[in-house]
Amino acid sequence: MKQYFLKRVLAACVALFLILTLAFMVVRLMPGSVYDDPNLPPAAVAMLEQKAHLDKPLLTQYGYFLKGIITENDWGTSVKVEPGIPAFEILKRQIPISLFVNLMSLLIALPIGILAGTAAAIKKNTMIDHAISFLVILGISIPSFVFASLLQYFCGFKWEWFPILYEPSADMAGQLHSLMLPIIALSLSPIATITRYLRGELIEVLDSEYMTLACTKGLPHYKATTRHAFRNASLPLIHVVIPMFANVLGGSMVIERMFSIPGVGGTMIKSINQTDYSLTVATLIFYALISVLTAFVVDILLGIVDPRVRFGGENA
Amino acid sequence: MSEQIKREDFVFLDADRTLFDETFSGKPIGFFKDALLRLKKNKASIVAFVIIVLIAFFAVAGPVFTPYGYNDQDVNRVNMPPKIPVLETFGIADGTRIIYNSRKENLNNPEKFPEGSVLEIVREYEIKNTPMVDVKVDYYIYSGHPDDYFIMGTDYLGRDLWTRLWRGARVSLLIAVISVMMNICIGVVYGAIAGYYGGRVDIIMMRITEIIGAFPQVIVATLLILFMGTGIRAIIFALIIRGWIGTAKLVRGQFLRFKGREYVLAARVMGVKDKKLIFRHILPNSIGPVITRAMVEVPGAIFAESFLAFIGLGLQAPEPSIGVLLSDAQKVLNSYPYQTFFPAVLISVLMISFNLFGNGLRDAFNPTMRGSD
Repeated sequence: MKQYFLKRVLAACVALFLILTLAFMVVRLMPGSVYDDPNLPPAAVAMLEQKAHLDKPLLTQYGYFLKGIITENDWGTSVKVEPGIPAFEILKRQIPISLFVNLMSLLIALPIGILAGTAAAIKKNTMIDHAISFLVILGISIPSFVFASLLQYFCGFKWEWFPILYEPSADMAGQLHSLMLPIIALSLSPIATITRYLRGELIEVLDSEYMTLACTKGLPHYKATTRHAFRNASLPLIHVVIPMFANVLGGSMVIERMFSIPGVGGTMIKSINQTDYSLTVATLIFYALISVLTAFVVDILLGIVDPRVRFGGENA
Repeated sequence: MSEQIKREDFVFLDADRTLFDETFSGKPIGFFKDALLRLKKNKASIVAFVIIVLIAFFAVAGPVFTPYGYNDQDVNRVNMPPKIPVLETFGIADGTRIIYNSRKENLNNPEKFPEGSVLEIVREYEIKNTPMVDVKVDYYIYSGHPDDYFIMGTDYLGRDLWTRLWRGARVSLLIAVISVMMNICIGVVYGAIAGYYGGRVDIIMMRITEIIGAFPQVIVATLLILFMGTGIRAIIFALIIRGWIGTAKLVRGQFLRFKGREYVLAARVMGVKDKKLIFRHILPNSIGPVITRAMVEVPGAIFAESFLAFIGLGLQAPEPSIGVLLSDAQKVLNSYPYQTFFPAVLISVLMISFNLFGNGLRDAFNPTMRGSD
């Protein structure tokens, strides 16, 4: 177990390091200077560049970049989106709301998905199952931003159930109210995925021999299902739910922009559009960190749960 | 010391016996025919396939049906509502729009409201003693294009959305199909080599995929497009760079399963070279899952393309794609919902169809249903 754990840690670190390097190189190799304001005199630009170590060779710059991150927590400074403010500060302000929206949508998705998946599996090949399967296909296929547009237009604009945009100045309840639409829009695809996955697992488990045994022993059907089948079927859910977090976070970029939520995703889009690359790199690294971390957590959890993974079994 | 055996030493034992079952009584059913038979029974998949073909047809030929180019801008026909020849008589998509807050006296001014444009006064009220009206107009007469038909309306630059939608679908499908095909090609070769040779080769090759796989898709795509600049090529590249790994793992798994079989051993004993063993003898066994995977990956690629468009890394204007259209329309969603409606429906239908068709293919190719091997 220890060896497996160390291996995973190493792999995660290597991936993060590579992403960091790649991000740095891409941004530095881009043509043009960071300071492209035509009103700046060349001498000032040279001074600014010297201050940012831009006049040194690339490798030295890279050294400074790494050193800044490790020793001073310096992720670069925003130049255009919020001039002069360190990228880390901007992110620190925005991460909570992004995380909140994403975690909420997953928290909503989990019980609904589990309920729907169980219902579909137990009522296999009935109208209920077909209806749920149909909805699942819709939920998986239709992109979250299409759902978001629908919700925004009908629930927000036409029927005025919810505010169209996020209201930062409202009180807690008001803020939550204005965040409902994006949360719902984000939760639909996870719901569909969980439902489909759980249905497949449960159907397989319900057919298994130990279920027959449990029933033969005289366990009532509902008890056999909840105690024996459900447990075994829901364990692999780790496989889907945790990686989903990284996916949802990616999808929420667009949703955040549509509902003007001041989260990380919106900042990333802004920084791309305004060519504020040090901020872009910082947001990218944040996203990379999240995805690498989730992948890491999944690996570790699976390693704990399933010894075959730990010993490098054939997972073909 | 080699012994020469003469041909004449061999005699056919059963040369004079008659063979009874010389011809098969039934027709032989090959792998694809078998799959096709099962696919045909799956109605949803057939419908999905027909829809995909239809969309593909319109993506190629759709722009021909209108006289407008995809980039014909005209300030006189900005944001026209949709008007469809047959449906307009039923009151759907009839090119009408409610204009709010006009002065009532303007209604009789043919310069502001041309003859026959006013259909109905929705509301009358007064602001500071000036009589005002909300009025429902035939927007086509109102804006001076009474004879035109913009089936899906026009956008903020007066460009025909029908033309742009199908051209966008063409670009999106092209990006999706090319990237998926390249993914499959790379993945199949890579996975085949790793799975066939096994051992150290396999370990090293799989480590490489693990490292690449650790990069989150969004981030790789963003960096690559920042580096290469926006454009079809950059987007396709961004989708390939990580996309082939899934196929590679799938094919590797199939190779691990099949390479120890007797028929492979038999072929090898007969002196068949590695290359031929890989591509001729083992690979066809994984063709089913690979085709299924390709079908399932297409909607993913379409989604990724529109996602990139949404975060500002889409195609360069004026070239449309479904994602570009959606992200443009999103900005005016509440005023002109029809601009979001059509691309949203198209991308949804497209993705549902590909998923359904992919499901059907998976069931049709599913080896567990093909008897016991």
